Amino acid sequence: MNEELIQQITKMVVEKLEAASGSQTVQQNSNEQIIELFSQQPIGHLNAETVKKSPSGLVTFHSTTEEPKRNIATVKPKPTTAYSNPKPKLAPEAEPVEDKWAEYRKKTPARVGVGRAGSRPKTKTWLQFRLDHAAAVDAVYGEVPDDLLEQLGLFQVQSKVVDKEEYIRRPDLGRKLSDEAKSIIQERCKKSPVVQIVASNGLSAKAIEENLEDVYLSLEQSLNNLNIEMGTTFYVDKGRVAVMDDIGELLQPDVVVMLIGERPGLVSAESLSAYMCYKPRHGTIEADRMVISNIHKGGIPPVEAGAFLGTIIQKILKYEASGVSLVQKEG
Amino acid sequence: MSNFNKHETIMSAGIDIGTSTTKLIISRFSLRNVAGASHVPRIEITDKEILYKSPVFRTPLQDEVTIDVAGVQQIIQSEYDKAGVQPSQIETGAVIITGETATKRNASEMLHQLSNEAGDFLVATAGPDLEGIIAAKGSGSYELSGKSGQVIANIDIGGGTANIAVFKDKQLLGTCTMHIGGRLIEFEGGKVRTISPPVERLLQDQGYTLRVGDPQSSSTVTFVTTYMAEAMGRVLKKEVHAQDQVLLLGHEPNWLPTVDTIVFSGGISECMYHHESGEVQEAQYDDIGVQLAEALLRNTSLQHFTWQEPIETVRATVLGAGTQTTEISGATIQVAPHELPLKNIPIYEYDFEANLETGLSHFEDAVEQAVTLYDSAKEGQNFALYLCNLPYLGFRDVQKLAKAVVQVMNKRPRPEQPIILVIQSDHAKVIGQTLAALQVKQSIICIDQINVETGDYIDIGNALTSGVVPVVVKTLTFHTT
Repeated sequence: MNEELIQQITKMVVEKLEAASGSQTVQQNSNEQIIELFSQQPIGHLNAETVKKSPSGLVTFHSTTEEPKRNIATVKPKPTTAYSNPKPKLAPEAEPVEDKWAEYRKKTPARVGVGRAGSRPKTKTWLQFRLDHAAAVDAVYGEVPDDLLEQLGLFQVQSKVVDKEEYIRRPDLGRKLSDEAKSIIQERCKKSPVVQIVASNGLSAKAIEENLEDVYLSLEQSLNNLNIEMGTTFYVDKGRVAVMDDIGELLQPDVVVMLIGERPGLVSAESLSAYMCYKPRHGTIEADRMVISNIHKGGIPPVEAGAFLGTIIQKILKYEASGVSLVQKEG
Repeated sequence: MSNFNKHETIMSAGIDIGTSTTKLIISRFSLRNVAGASHVPRIEITDKEILYKSPVFRTPLQDEVTIDVAGVQQIIQSEYDKAGVQPSQIETGAVIITGETATKRNASEMLHQLSNEAGDFLVATAGPDLEGIIAAKGSGSYELSGKSGQVIANIDIGGGTANIAVFKDKQLLGTCTMHIGGRLIEFEGGKVRTISPPVERLLQDQGYTLRVGDPQSSSTVTFVTTYMAEAMGRVLKKEVHAQDQVLLLGHEPNWLPTVDTIVFSGGISECMYHHESGEVQEAQYDDIGVQLAEALLRNTSLQHFTWQEPIETVRATVLGAGTQTTEISGATIQVAPHELPLKNIPIYEYDFEANLETGLSHFEDAVEQAVTLYDSAKEGQNFALYLCNLPYLGFRDVQKLAKAVVQVMNKRPRPEQPIILVIQSDHAKVIGQTLAALQVKQSIICIDQINVETGDYIDIGNALTSGVVPVVVKTLTFHTT
């Protein structure tokens, strides 16, 4: 089926639901017939739990680090599909006697205390869940726009993977550069740089699209401030983290930083990770790689993450180690 | 270089110099990275251990208006010795001068002297509002207000003053200070030895007379304590009568909601609850303290409130000063180590209202106002700019913001002073680095995840091994809900 059509239908259903449940407050156009998709009243003797806040199960981020008073910009995940119109605010309803879940919901973006209808989730919660799941799938199958790479001056090479299906089935091929890629890299990149930065879509093209620019520019500035030399940054299409070993063999850098899209989840489909390794080469063990994950609007702000990465790289260079070895050397 | 994974401890001292008593407390905070291995570190105080509690000393005074500085120093020195700590080991904490002591002639001079001698980064504080807040934190009222959902008034009554601080959900709603305290009438050999001026005025207003040498059992003394208890009840209910004004120190009660629960702390509360009964303290203070405690316990209008026993009585303030004043900054920050510690930096809050463009368009006014507010004489009192409600920032936005910061900061009367920024959201490192990349001449202190507002003063301590800095926020403003 046509993707756009599905989106449109989903949007329409969600809007109707919104209008129906918010009918006390939402002004109905007088000449528009009110459509009731389902009964407003529970049928039978169900003792349905009512949860007053965030009944749709819309996931929002809350910082868990601060005093309750602070309202740090809790950035909502940018909707990745058509479902983007702001929710009509329900009128302040009679305060529930005690909403025992409210405290929990403040502390996690997980779908806790979203209520239920009988033995299944509420329709809105369920649709939201489907929507988030669809966004995750889209992130995997999406592509990074070429103009983003052009703007940042990155050239593009391929891993040994041919298409997305193979990328998913054969992680081992995602860890190798194609022969063509090798020769392009040989030709265009500075040899033996101190820091080699590589970007890759990994499992979320959306993560690169949303965050790469901010992380990269901020990291670049941070390295400049620290007087750490950078190599020629490029982009690997359909790469896996360990493709850095191939790159390490080719270019002999001291540190490789790999900015790669994380496997999307139901909370965020656009989260970026920065994997770092001291002298990655063939045979490098996983324990020597380290990662700063959760870089996105609702997690670590990308600009701050980039600034922080510079400090970590400085530390890796000082101790000439990364990952578990770094922790051991640092003592 | 900062090591985030090391378990780290810092020593904190609290010193409370009150009207009647002086006490000291030494505690040790454990700091740990509470974020997961793949996350940006988040350093928090994970444990507070009290290492040493001094006995309760009589505050040494030279005469009615002068504190005996040498005497206080001697107490602190000998208590440090007993606790086995050197002043150089103390990395944070607070010295607080409370009650009427704060009005003594040499109070502020002593405060600063002590905060320097008793530890490198010991914060000097005074003022009845702050005292009430710190006592509420030490007595457990503040914690309780976060759990019970009730409006809680902590009433800390010492020798000279009663400091009321009202909290709900850990939000300060208001304060009030009254001339109610144990030492306002002192006795000697069963006879009145001294009568403090506020009590004199009260008696005059009410048409009573009490003279030095009158017997302790005089009905006038009973009248005073009863009246104080009644006035306390009226203040808590915000029904202050004209004749109560004489007992108010400063402003009237300024909280809005009705108080549900009251908690007494301070020396008078010790007379009520006898937490330290082993020491038999009361007798050595020959004053109205015990009678006042009894009057409060008996007063019927105070019985309308729910009473809650405090965790600490006489030591509430010192405990609060020693353990509740320090906050830890975010882990990713940018500070110029040679500028630290910084003390008494006033905060000017600038709200971006989640829009960078409109925020920046009035940015210049912010600095102008901050200068008018804190440095009207243009003597070079530096201030910290608190940037809150920033929108989501991309790299180019950060560049724009940093350039604007440099521009407005150069308009200060003394532009060469360090640029001090406190940022609400987690952006300190990138903003600090961007300023560095712009090669600004000034030193940069850029910290985040500290909650402050205009009117607060902050002290920033030396950077710890993990790279974070301890910050003490001295809040004097109220949150009305």
